[in-house]
Amino acid sequence: MALESPLVEADMVEAMEFPELANRYQVSGVPHTDINDGEGNVVGAVPEDYLLEEIKRAMGEPFITNDEG
Amino acid sequence: MPEFLSDPIKKQLQEAFLNLQNPVEIVFFGSEKNCDYCTETKQLLEEVTVLSDHLGLTVYDLEKNSIEAKQYKIDKAPGFNIMAKVGLDLVDYGIRFYGIPSGHEFTSLINDLVLVSGRDAHLDPMTVSYLKGLTKPIHLQVFTTPT
Repeated sequence: MALESPLVEADMVEAMEFPELANRYQVSGVPHTDINDGEGNVVGAVPEDYLLEEIKRAMGEPFITNDEG
Repeated sequence: MPEFLSDPIKKQLQEAFLNLQNPVEIVFFGSEKNCDYCTETKQLLEEVTVLSDHLGLTVYDLEKNSIEAKQYKIDKAPGFNIMAKVGLDLVDYGIRFYGIPSGHEFTSLINDLVLVSGRDAHLDPMTVSYLKGLTKPIHLQVFTTPT
């Protein structure tokens, strides 16, 4: 995905070597994909469309509402 | 330190690397401070990149080369950026690895080298279309373990 858009950055993080980061995102099962610093996450090696849906959700799409709060 | 890659694995990798179409540069940052796997990661990357003329490796130190670390957006060690090499320029696609890529991650590393070399992620057209229309950044952090 990072290859297809300059707005996408993808870090592969070895959880055992960076336990503080893994703890911050409450990583228990792997692979654990965090989206935008806690906005969303996916656990497991999921199909591409599933990951895309979770990214859209984390980005506030397609459930955009104007009545927050 | 003995080599990580056995001869049969090297042969297998050389065959996989026949698919490399364009040059790829791995920009690696190690550290002398509190880094358990920097030496091992650097050696593994050396063993991999030597297997193809299309692969290159640049080695920096996170503290001593802090300007480069900022430029290549590496904030932890061992960390490396898989970049496309176009002429003398390096193109940052935003693909980084932190920690030693062993186990499944070794496969991810090899796949990423091939994908970056081909400049094509082989994604579903629907996904590509969504990504092309992005207006806000997405930062994905994929946590893995060595096993």
